[in-house]
Parts: sequence; structure tokens; C-alpha cells
Amino acid sequence: MSTYVALLDGGRREEAVEVRRVAPGAYEVRLRGKVHVVDAFRHDYGTLSLIVDGKSHSAMLDWRDARVNVRLRHAIVPLELLDERKLRMRRAAGKFTVAGPQAIVAPMPGRIAKVLVRAGEEVREGQALVVFEAMKMENELRSPKDGKVVEVLAREGETVEAQTKLCTIA
Amino acid sequence: MSTKRAIRKILVANRGEIAVRVMRTCREMGIATVAIYSDADRGSLHVRYADEAIHVGPSPARDSYLDVGRVLDAARRTRADAVHPGYGFLSEKAEFARAVERAGMVFVGPRPESMDAMGVKTTARANMRAAGVPIVPGSEGPIADETAARAFADAIGYPVMIKAAAGGGGKGMKRCDRAEDLSALWQSARRESAGAFGDDRLYVEKFLDRPRHVEIQVFADERGETIHLGERECSVQRRQQKVIEESPSAIVDDALRAAMGEVAVRAARAVSYRGAGTVEFLVDASRSFWFLEMNTRLQVEHPVTEALTGLDLVRLQIDVARGAPVPRQEEIVRRGHAIEARVYAEDPARGFLPSPGKITYLRVPAGPGVRDDSGVYGGWIVPQHYDPMISKLSAWAPTRDQAIARLVRALGEYTVHGITANIAWLIAALQHPAFRAGDYDTGFCARYERELLPRPDPEQEEIALVAAAVAAFKRDREEAEAFAARAVASPRASAWVRLGRARALRGEDR
Repeated sequence: MSTYVALLDGGRREEAVEVRRVAPGAYEVRLRGKVHVVDAFRHDYGTLSLIVDGKSHSAMLDWRDARVNVRLRHAIVPLELLDERKLRMRRAAGKFTVAGPQAIVAPMPGRIAKVLVRAGEEVREGQALVVFEAMKMENELRSPKDGKVVEVLAREGETVEAQTKLCTIA
Repeated sequence: MSTKRAIRKILVANRGEIAVRVMRTCREMGIATVAIYSDADRGSLHVRYADEAIHVGPSPARDSYLDVGRVLDAARRTRADAVHPGYGFLSEKAEFARAVERAGMVFVGPRPESMDAMGVKTTARANMRAAGVPIVPGSEGPIADETAARAFADAIGYPVMIKAAAGGGGKGMKRCDRAEDLSALWQSARRESAGAFGDDRLYVEKFLDRPRHVEIQVFADERGETIHLGERECSVQRRQQKVIEESPSAIVDDALRAAMGEVAVRAARAVSYRGAGTVEFLVDASRSFWFLEMNTRLQVEHPVTEALTGLDLVRLQIDVARGAPVPRQEEIVRRGHAIEARVYAEDPARGFLPSPGKITYLRVPAGPGVRDDSGVYGGWIVPQHYDPMISKLSAWAPTRDQAIARLVRALGEYTVHGITANIAWLIAALQHPAFRAGDYDTGFCARYERELLPRPDPEQEEIALVAAAVAAFKRDREEAEAFAARAVASPRASAWVRLGRARALRGEDR
């Protein structure tokens, strides 16, 4: 039996999932206090055919290390799946908190179309900070938390490389 | 029915999806194709699809796809007899069309003079006003200064839009609701326009309430015979970018279609148009319509019209370029309903941030009534230099409800790994009650922004958790088995070590 911890909503929610193999391709999966009878058949690249409690599902899994996007018929569920050891390491590193100063960086090479905040300004979680232009599209980079803008390094019209720090929210 | 000019080889002055689209028809017609490509596009699908391929420069578009000299040189070197510009890049640059014709080749598109007449918005508006085409009440030309702008806005009434004369893509465009905001918005629009286009001329026009974007596809031949192929409804737009297009439009009936078609044909004739063009209109809640602009090229969303009419618009473009006549208006038959969704490499959950990168796996939909126009393949790296659209997925069915259901079904089959695509967002938009009811306008994406963000229901989430955990379990077990097998095979490990490892493995499984 193995136990995994899934992080949902970017780490805001946790779910424990217990998997027990009962026969080749047959599993019992305990989740939210319920045990599901699961028949799993692996198809081509990343595709899993699942029969869960008699219902058929096709799940396509796109893994990037511990992160996985699970594609079902009409939904894509992004989550991070850790075993207990990895979860302890992650907790020790304190990676999924937004406590302390958070740097907003350019996610890819692009251009600063607009700077929407000034140093010293109070911002809310989800508030747009910078309009960033890449691949001919404009996108808003938003604040990960409620806080204060402590520095603004981005200048309008400037071209920046990926990972360039644009501003800091504390 | 004479075809005056021979076209045996076409250089496609474009990349990606539309280059492949044009070449497909060329292949059906037995016409040889030449691709051009930049550094970033050596591995692009259009390069391997073409009969010949010429490198035209570094990755930034201005040094390759937008460089008239280099593109023309590629056409000369390969002895192409015609150039198809696709959409975007040089497709609406009259200077390029002129250069192609001067070099003795056929430009598959309108006359350069028509492009000039429709290229600058204020010129286009003046031309259309002269031709009796209804235009949104607004200034005839650029407005001299803020004082003049204020006087004009007071005259036509608020709200008004301030727009850049050289504009496009929403840059230098401001909505002004009250006289007291005019000054600040005017200055801001001027700065944006100067920065984006090197031209700070602005004009002012009336702001329309809940306008819908409805466009008419027109086609004209060399003799000036001009027909229309009906409308496309393109009101689902995000930041002035179309995302979903359909035909017929829910607000266009036969009478309105005939009226808009007649006006669109008049607009095209007024500028001696030739080839495929699109006259864009805004239609307000009272079903009055006004000229917005004319796109002097093939549109991204042309598959919608192809599905409805059964025509191949690229073939028709090439026929017209050869000197053949267009079909007669009464020969055009529109059947059923067609709808297209643009699949972008972008992440709706992160503010629609583009998601370039390697496509590790791609499986495209199939089945009845579905068409995929793609410029990518599994293993291709979506470059950062160009538009993030990776595919256009369209569906046809006898009724609107069936066409929407079919497109939703097809999007459900669309699998792309390695990059993030907007597929779940498209499904949410197509299933939104306002869209289903046909009751939407250009404010749709902004108005329902939150509702359209993918939020899986708890049941789907449970299945996803089960899938991920079982997949991880299988992976971990296989890794452990492989490790044990290596240990067993290793002559250096003692028998006790091997036994211990094998026991540990079995134990974990029990």
C-alpha cells in the first residue's frame, strides 16, 4: 500500500490518497473516507483507462516532475502529487507559502506594456500589477497575496528576459 | 471562362497553420509550393509540408517574415509565379503587393490601390461614407486637438471611443463615458498611439451599446463581379482577439443578411476590390449595422464559411488570381451551422499567459463533421516569437445546437501535452448559457470572465485524484521492480543483499 498527498489549487488544499493493489490492474483507492474499486489499463503515452466503481473514464496525464495535469473529458485538473517523504521535504523548504516578500518575475521573454502599481501602494490578492506582452498577446501579472508593493523595477516599454524581477510584494 | 495567367508554383509568404492551409489546396490543385522560414521555424510543419523551403532570416518577424526584400528574393530564386500572403505579416501591406507585381509575379490578393483605400481607418471611413456605406457616427478625419475633440464629443454625445488613426489591436483605444474624463483619456490615447505606431493622430466616434461583431465575406473577380458568402459572427473576443466564430449569426435573419451583403458588396466595389475580403460591421441591439473596417485578405476564421458554403476559399482565391470569374450570387448556397474555436497555447488560469514550449504529445479530434487546421505536431517546440495560436478547430452540423455540441465533443478529444492550451476555457465558453442562447456581444469574455475560468466539479476532481495516484503507484512499483532486477542481475551484490531487496519489494506490494 502507498499513500500520496495531492496538493490542489496551487497548494491551498490537500487530499490524502491511499492506493492498494489487489490484483494485476485492480486497485482499491481510499479517498475522502471512501474506498473506490478501480480497474486501470494503461494505453499509449500518458493515457489511463479507468473503470471506477463501474464507470468508465479516460484520463490523460501530463507529468512535469511532481506536477500533473489530469485531463478528463471536459475538465483539466492541475495538481501536485507527493509521497510522504517528498511532502516532508517540501514542508521543510516552506515552498508553498506566500509569507514574506514575493518577487514577481517575467515568466518568459517579453515587453512591459504597462506598470499598474507604484511602490508603497497596498494591493489585494489577484490584483493586476503589470501588463506583460509576450507572443503578441498582453497579459496581466497579478499579486499572489494581499500586501504592499515594496519595490517596482519594471519600466514601461522595456524588453526583459525570462525571470527578470519586475516588482516585490511584501 | 478564360484563365489568363498560369500559376504553377506559389510561394506562401507566411508560417504555421495558415501556410499549411494554403499549401493543402495548392497540392490538391497540382500547384508546387515554396515555404519560407526563420531560424525558429526550421522544424515548423509548413517547412516539411512544402515542396521547397527557403530560409529568410532570424527569428524576429521583422527580420524574416516582414522583410519584403528577403521574401521577394526567395520568390525570385525559386521562380515562383505567384505569392500567397496568408493573413497577418505582409498580407495587408500594399507595398509588398506592389513589389510582387513589379517583379512580374501574381499577388494572390487585392490590387495594392484597394489595400491603400482600406488601410488607414480614416481614409477607409471617408471612402465608405462616399459610397453610402453606414459608418459609426464619428469624426471624418483625425481631430486636431483636445479642444476640438471635446466639441465633437459634446456634439455626438457620450459615451464615445477615442481611437488611433493608425490603430489596431486595441492600442490607443479608449472609452470615455463623461466629459470630465476626456482630457486624461485623450492624452493617454495619444501617448499609446505614438508609442505603438509612431503616429499620434486620433479620431473620435460614438460608442455603441452591446455591439456584436458580424462580418461579411466578399469575393470579387478581376472584372469587378462581386458576391458575398454571408456572415460570420465573431463577438467572442478577448482583448480584441477573436476566439470563437460561427455562422449563421443568431441575430442575422435573411433580410438582414441580404442588406448587409448588399452593403458589403458595395463597399468592395467602391475600392475596385479583387479576391477574398471581409467587411467587418458592428451590429447593435436594435440590429442597426455600421461599417467597422475591411480586411483585405483571407481571414483566420474562413473555415466557417467554407463549411457552410462547401467552397474552398483558397482555391477560389487562386482561380480569381488566374483570371477566372467568381460564381454567381444565386449559386451560393449556405447550409446548416458552422462554428470554430481557436486553440491557443495559453493558460487561462494564469491571466491567459502564453505557454510556449515543447508539445510532448498531441492527439487531434476526429469523427463526424470536425475539421482541425493545425500548424503543429507532437515534438514541435512552440516558439516565443509568434502568435500563440496552435490550431483552429471547427465543426459543422445541421443546426446550431448540434454544431456547438459537436465542437464541445471534439474539444473533449483534443489532447496536447507539454504546453498549456485554452481547451477547457473554450468548452466553458461554448457551454455558457448566454452563448447557448445566442445572446452575447463583444463584452462576453470580460462580462463572464470568472464564470469561464475552468473549475472542475468535485466528482471530476475525485476521478483525477484516483487517476494520478494509480498512475504514480504504477510508476513507483515499476521503478522498484527495475531497481530490484538490476540488483539481482548485479554479480557484485551478495546473495543476502539481493534476497533482502527482493523481500522488501514483495513486502511493499502485499
